[in-house]
Amino acid sequence: MAATHAQRSTREIFTTLEYGPVPESHACALAWLDTQDRHLGHYVNGKWLKPERRNSVPCRDPITGENLASCPQAQAEDVAAAVEAARTAWENWSGLPGASRAQYLTRLAKMIQKHQRLLWTLESLVTGRAVREVRDRDIPLAQQLLQCHAVQAYTQEETLAGWEPMGVIGLILSPTFSFLEMMWRICPALAVGCTVVVLVPPGSPTPLLLAQLAGELGSFPGILNMINGPASLGPILASQPGVQKVTFCGAVEEGRVLRRTLAGQGAELGLALGAESLLVLTEAADVDSAVEGVVDAAWSDRSAGGLRLLIQESVWDETMRRLRERMARLRGGRGLDGAVDMGARGAAAHDLAQRYVREAQSQGAQVFQAGDVPSVSPFFPPTLVSDLPPASPCTQAEVPWPVVVASPFRTAKEALAVANGTPRGGSASVWSERPGQALELGYGLRVGTVWINAHGLRHPEVPIGGCKESGSSWHGGPDGLYEYLRPSGTPARLPSLSENLNYDTFGLAVPLTLPSGPEIGPSPAAPYGLFIGGRFQAPGARSSRCIQDSKGNLHAYVAEGGAKDIRGAVEAAHQAAPGWVTRPPGARASLLWALASALERREPALASALERHGVELKTAKVEVELSVRRLRAWGARAQAQGHVLQVAELRGPVLRLREPLGVLAIVCPDEWPLLAFASLLAAALAHGNTVVLVPSGVCPIPALEVCQDMATLLPAGLVNVVTGDRDHLTRCLALHQDVQALWYFGSAQGSQFVEWASAGNLKPVWVNRGHPRAWDQEAQGAGPELGLRAARTKALWLPMGD
Amino acid sequence: MSARNLGTELDLSWISKIQVNQPAVLRRAEQIQARRVVKKEWQAAWLLKAVTFIDLTTLSGDDTSSNVQRLCYKAKYPIREDLLKALNVHDKGLTTAAVCVYPARVCDAVKALKAAGSTIPVASVATGFPAGQTHLKTRLEEIRLAVEDGATEIDVVINRTLVLTGQWEGSDFIKTSTGKETVNATFPVAIVMLRAIRDFFWKTGNKIGFKPAGGIRSAKDSLAWLSLIKEELGDEWLTPELFRIGASTLLSDIERQIYHHVTGRYAAYHDLPMS
Repeated sequence: MAATHAQRSTREIFTTLEYGPVPESHACALAWLDTQDRHLGHYVNGKWLKPERRNSVPCRDPITGENLASCPQAQAEDVAAAVEAARTAWENWSGLPGASRAQYLTRLAKMIQKHQRLLWTLESLVTGRAVREVRDRDIPLAQQLLQCHAVQAYTQEETLAGWEPMGVIGLILSPTFSFLEMMWRICPALAVGCTVVVLVPPGSPTPLLLAQLAGELGSFPGILNMINGPASLGPILASQPGVQKVTFCGAVEEGRVLRRTLAGQGAELGLALGAESLLVLTEAADVDSAVEGVVDAAWSDRSAGGLRLLIQESVWDETMRRLRERMARLRGGRGLDGAVDMGARGAAAHDLAQRYVREAQSQGAQVFQAGDVPSVSPFFPPTLVSDLPPASPCTQAEVPWPVVVASPFRTAKEALAVANGTPRGGSASVWSERPGQALELGYGLRVGTVWINAHGLRHPEVPIGGCKESGSSWHGGPDGLYEYLRPSGTPARLPSLSENLNYDTFGLAVPLTLPSGPEIGPSPAAPYGLFIGGRFQAPGARSSRCIQDSKGNLHAYVAEGGAKDIRGAVEAAHQAAPGWVTRPPGARASLLWALASALERREPALASALERHGVELKTAKVEVELSVRRLRAWGARAQAQGHVLQVAELRGPVLRLREPLGVLAIVCPDEWPLLAFASLLAAALAHGNTVVLVPSGVCPIPALEVCQDMATLLPAGLVNVVTGDRDHLTRCLALHQDVQALWYFGSAQGSQFVEWASAGNLKPVWVNRGHPRAWDQEAQGAGPELGLRAARTKALWLPMGD
Repeated sequence: MSARNLGTELDLSWISKIQVNQPAVLRRAEQIQARRVVKKEWQAAWLLKAVTFIDLTTLSGDDTSSNVQRLCYKAKYPIREDLLKALNVHDKGLTTAAVCVYPARVCDAVKALKAAGSTIPVASVATGFPAGQTHLKTRLEEIRLAVEDGATEIDVVINRTLVLTGQWEGSDFIKTSTGKETVNATFPVAIVMLRAIRDFFWKTGNKIGFKPAGGIRSAKDSLAWLSLIKEELGDEWLTPELFRIGASTLLSDIERQIYHHVTGRYAAYHDLPMS
């Protein structure tokens, strides 16, 4: 380590030509802590809040263990005070013209510029990360974030018309995430007019410093509030009146727990989980540059996580040799040394890495460690793990910092299969000088960000997010703004928590359907089957339920679907997915238009079915007509997806792609039985999803009628419609690990269950909490919100140069 | 010189297989300058080391024996003796790696160095420098004459017409450029060349030297070049046998930095002897 050589003379160094320490003074960080007498507080409503009688948590230098200051551990009343401040501030802040908010954000960016040295030394001191990375990357990026979002705020009235700020946003940070992660989230929230309460992990003073800098601008105290406390205070934060959304970034398991505990709470939940990244190195790559990509990804203090490295077999030996050579030249040490590649991340990160490496070894892996890194905790050397058996637990587990797990692949197709075969979907890079191959891999990877021949590039205008267990919350770019907006006129979210909802038994048993009185009147039609895989089939349970009309007479029998039928439907949808995704938007549009025409032809039957359920004939006709229009409208919109972003500093474009979610399950509402069905289905199909759909419970007949047209028009399995007990079917869908997203329009209890159950595979869910929607209104029935929910974004970076 | 590069069978498939991603190399070039900083004693030692890699050069149309003589003296005594004493390196025999002149001035240089009692090699640019667009016959004759005059190292401008048509030549050292181009020694280009040197070493066991030339003027630049070599090739390349910096004004900036390190003051122009 550099520090051990401190007494070398010029004469000695002249011979050895070694590197020396480049210490960055942290005197200003200590001086700032002294201004608070080394007792930090919460920062609420533009003032320090130092309540008495709180447990205090030390803030330590992760390398020396020296106690730098103490932070109070928040109690519920502190959280309440912060939310109250944010709520009061929101009333003014959200009503300001965007230009005023833009001005404020610009002033804050300048404030950061003035105190940048204090910020970077404090951040490096308390996190242990290399000061070079904080100083040269994080702080400039923080300023850029504020400036870019100031521009967004300025143009908000024009570009985001029809949307309004949600309200108070709770942000929960995990201890492993940096100050920059917080900036990525508070900038868009503040820009669009939300106010923020951040739950800062104990012992992380940099966010407090930022809040103080913001507070010292004088105007608008209370828009940014900081509370010291662990993530376990999350439910208390989420249940405060006025909190409309809680955003969490941290470990996957923590996110899962939070998802379960926040089910049914007032606040929506946005999750950004895990930190592992992926690098695919093909034989057509510039291998030396790709090796630098590995360094950027895992061994340069840029990312909080480890790296999974896939290397094409034909260049395996060459790549491993270069990697080992390169690793030997890496330097680790105290983060405040300006010439180290890697700092340290504290004892917890060290132990996590240690455990992973030992386990990998015991499972038969080869471990290579190198670099000039002190051999004491919390320092951990750059580590390369290879030959890990494919089925070993370490292959499935998340790779921790600073570990790289290398495994070979034979063909690009196999690389995709391996890369997509994990529950994680954060970021990845592809290294290939063959543009065709690079794009094939870039499009095929199921992740939120793909860099071609680069790794870890970031820009405020490019959205970052993920899919699968990496969570579906976004920051940066347009997607980052929508996280904190809702369509204008949407009522505020209120808690609909049902304390006595039993998750174990909800929808477990299907109520028995017994004959319900004599069949009177005209003989009802033959029972409808389940529409699965393109044809009607009998339910596994071999029983039917009767549907009564508005007068209580028997209207029809429909199939009683169950768990096995859901399984079959999801399988059919998966089989249809590859064909549908690769269909050009134009072909998707023409199918939706064909379906619209079929609906038009079926109008008399549909209208009369609706009429039997108490809808006036005139209204019924309007519902059919609107449904036709929705199918056509989404067909037309299918063609306008995604766009190209131009980013300063980067030569070349960034593509913002809109990719299908996959198999989307939709539980339709009881209201507007045909229109809601058509609106949801059209939005889902237009974006390339395949669908398993549960139609209205009281009036499923119109949907089943439409299935007869779908049987002839659509590819088999693209749309599957399952009737039966809604709670039971909802349970089966919500707990299904291979359903990629779920929209639920039903009871408050059902919504709560869906939120709880989605923690299993962390699928994005959209629930109505028992509130009916005005499906006949353009905004609620066909607005951009549906389009946003029906696809996920992928940012594809394409740097150019010859 | 290390063992001569005896060359190898020309295998163009090596070259066709090489992939270079320009944006990635540009990023690496930026990083390497920011990530490897040296300060204080380390900086002084590194700067002194950099002196030993310099091919102290004068390549002007108006070179005469008097300025070549001054150059040679500076090559022998590159840093003021009292500064070296203060750093306790005065007994290391610190000189530049070579002096580099036009063929017609080789004689002057050899004479001046001999008079100064020095064994510093004389390098000469030859073969129609800097364009290299002369006949092979005169090019060879030029080399022969320079060697006859006492030059022990020849910087050859290769025939780029042949290179661009795939007919390569071999060498012991490769240079980034002549120093007379509009763009000379840049980091991205150097990274690509250094990686080629390493690959060649891995394949054949031959160590090829590297000489960036042109535009390296500040002490800070020279430190960045040293760390670039250290990072991409390793310490074994940090020797005058395998690494040279072609420069004329760099040395005076290094001397100024050493002066500042030793005295804590910035030097006036007249405090240090000119070259």
